[in-house]
Amino acid sequence: MRFKGFYTWTRDLHLYLGLFVSPFILLFAASVFFLNHAKVAVDLATSEQTVQDVQIPGVGDGPQNMERVASAKKLLDQLRVTGEIGFVQYQRKERRLVIPVSKPGLETKITVDLDTRSASISRRTTGFWEALAYLHKMPGPHNAAIRGNWIGTRAWQWFADGTIYLILFITVSGLYLWFSLRAERRIGVMLLAAGAVSFIGAINAILR
Amino acid sequence: MRFSVEAWNRKLHYYLGLYFLFFLWLFSLTGLLLNHPRWALAQTSFQRTETRYETPIELPRGETDLARAHDVMGQLNLRGEIDWPAAGQKPGRFEFNVSRPNDASTIEVDLVRKRAAVRHFDNHPWAAFRIFHTFSGSRYNAPAATRDWALTTVWTLSMDALAAGLVIMVLGSYYMWYRLKPKRRLGAAMLAAGFAACGSFLAALI
Repeated sequence: MRFKGFYTWTRDLHLYLGLFVSPFILLFAASVFFLNHAKVAVDLATSEQTVQDVQIPGVGDGPQNMERVASAKKLLDQLRVTGEIGFVQYQRKERRLVIPVSKPGLETKITVDLDTRSASISRRTTGFWEALAYLHKMPGPHNAAIRGNWIGTRAWQWFADGTIYLILFITVSGLYLWFSLRAERRIGVMLLAAGAVSFIGAINAILR
Repeated sequence: MRFSVEAWNRKLHYYLGLYFLFFLWLFSLTGLLLNHPRWALAQTSFQRTETRYETPIELPRGETDLARAHDVMGQLNLRGEIDWPAAGQKPGRFEFNVSRPNDASTIEVDLVRKRAAVRHFDNHPWAAFRIFHTFSGSRYNAPAATRDWALTTVWTLSMDALAAGLVIMVLGSYYMWYRLKPKRRLGAAMLAAGFAACGSFLAALI
């Protein structure tokens, strides 16, 4: 009786949590095809704008850190640009700041001339699939010290992590549910073994 | 024996899930490593050791840069996916990078002196594990980057197959749930909550 209760609970959780996380799984799965096969001309801006008399924040040379990002954000507020700051680059020779800012559907590059106090804003709107691919890759491993400097990225990280933890739960509970079905055990073991052989074979071929 | 969509859909759900289990675990766990670069384990996954050497080499043969790069790789006993310098080739030099999840090399051939200078990086095993998540030989924002190693294509096809398998499993699970009348109401609420969370998030961000 205790076994049946555990089985029923596991089956129900597998079903309901699976249904909840399924749109996120579809998002991550569908964007794989774009990430693996699409090509996009990223140097074609869809709009250019120049803003004069900007208040230059105190962003000098140095490592990427949140202090630097906080200063850059003051600039973004003036220019009404929102999104995740990729990095803040000070080009000493040209006396300018370069700040790429991105969010799903839009990539913005801000270039500030420190002498003329003018900012040029170059925007590129991305398509739906590129927006999905952006979410697939966010927050990602690059510039860890400043990643998550936009609330949208921080919120998305919760969803991305939650999707992974739920997938892990669903796979483990799925294994248990399958193993409880005696009639499916033999063919299931064969498929599990076939998957393991394909997986180890592919990895071994690449690494050897 | 009568063909039943319900029974076969259920079997397909188990079978795809079992076949792709290890691939799914790899991409899930490496996804966590990629999203949390400050974790100690993730820091380890960025470690690599570098060795440098210079060696005499035969002039690379071949009609194309790709064929010449393969010739050089054969002479240096290197394997992997080729990446070209963004700035193009300089006169008298032939440069390219070659990488796999476990190692990478930067090769600079001096065509006049017939010598190759190699910077070789051996990645930490956790780095190799992490790199499998992104090892596709292609970047959508770099149109010039194309796959040129057969094993990269095999791995990319594995990623595609897993993605397609997940889509089939999810759509099949909707059918299985819908056939369970007592579970319809709560299931619909969970599914709606999932779509609302994902959809509103997308709408708010885009």
